[in-house]
Amino acid sequence: MNAETSRTTGTADTAPRSTNPPARDVVRREWFLTRLSWHLQDHPGREAKQIVRDLRGELTSAAADVGMRQAVRDLGHPLVLAEGYRAHLGRRVPRWTAGAVAAGLAVAFLVYLGFAYAFGTLDTLEALGGGTVTRYPFGAETVFTSGADGIAVESTFTWQGVVIFVLVAAVAFVLGSRAWRALG
Amino acid sequence: MSPTARDPQLLKGVLPMLVLLLLAEHESYGYELVTRLQADGLDDIAPGTVYPVLTRLEREGLVASRLVPSSSGPARKYYRPTPDGDAELASSLRGWTALSATVRAVVHRAPVPTTEESS
Repeated sequence: MNAETSRTTGTADTAPRSTNPPARDVVRREWFLTRLSWHLQDHPGREAKQIVRDLRGELTSAAADVGMRQAVRDLGHPLVLAEGYRAHLGRRVPRWTAGAVAAGLAVAFLVYLGFAYAFGTLDTLEALGGGTVTRYPFGAETVFTSGADGIAVESTFTWQGVVIFVLVAAVAFVLGSRAWRALG
Repeated sequence: MSPTARDPQLLKGVLPMLVLLLLAEHESYGYELVTRLQADGLDDIAPGTVYPVLTRLEREGLVASRLVPSSSGPARKYYRPTPDGDAELASSLRGWTALSATVRAVVHRAPVPTTEESS
């Protein structure tokens, strides 16, 4: 049995004391672990959570000796530390979070294109003196109206439009996450 | 670079063996293991170098861990070699002994270049 165990199983005067670190240390530790978690997204989820859990304990232990600031500093940059873990992983795994971000950005870009197209069409109609025109952006029948009463855009729901959005999101997700790494 | 500066790549190759060796002496939690390595002469080794090694050794079943309540913080995770870890350590030591003998023989035979700084 090691000394640590002996202390904790000893008499009342050696019983564990309150061990909550100061709030500032907790914030410093959790901020580091949050950044590390982002960079650990290459890891299988269960192992990444275990790494963060272990490091939380190690940081708190080290902080008792050298202070939380130094304990965090000793771990270096979270990106470099995550790369250290990744190097010991021995294989490459998908980056699902990056894939989700890429898919979100791709969909947002399509929405932006839709709005740009709509405002461009309405501007053109207004420059021509107003009127109504029907177009099919992303396969959806859309009626643009511009007149003295104001402007209007009416669009219908089509499966073709949904397929385009889903397809673009899927391609961005696959490329962004390097999903093929899951195959081998 | 100082004349005694260590090549990180050299250390990287033997660190798992050193970790297993120290844990075979007696179990340790991560930060304690770092301080033991530093006390043994690797004074520039960082926790960020050691923790990934511990994680890999545990994933590969070469070390086992247990949580031990601590009087100065949260429960600490103590590591010790498993039987597979002992076998790996023995194998690593054999490999290291053979390699270091070869390196020593070559180093002793070859002339050591001198530099301005060391002269």
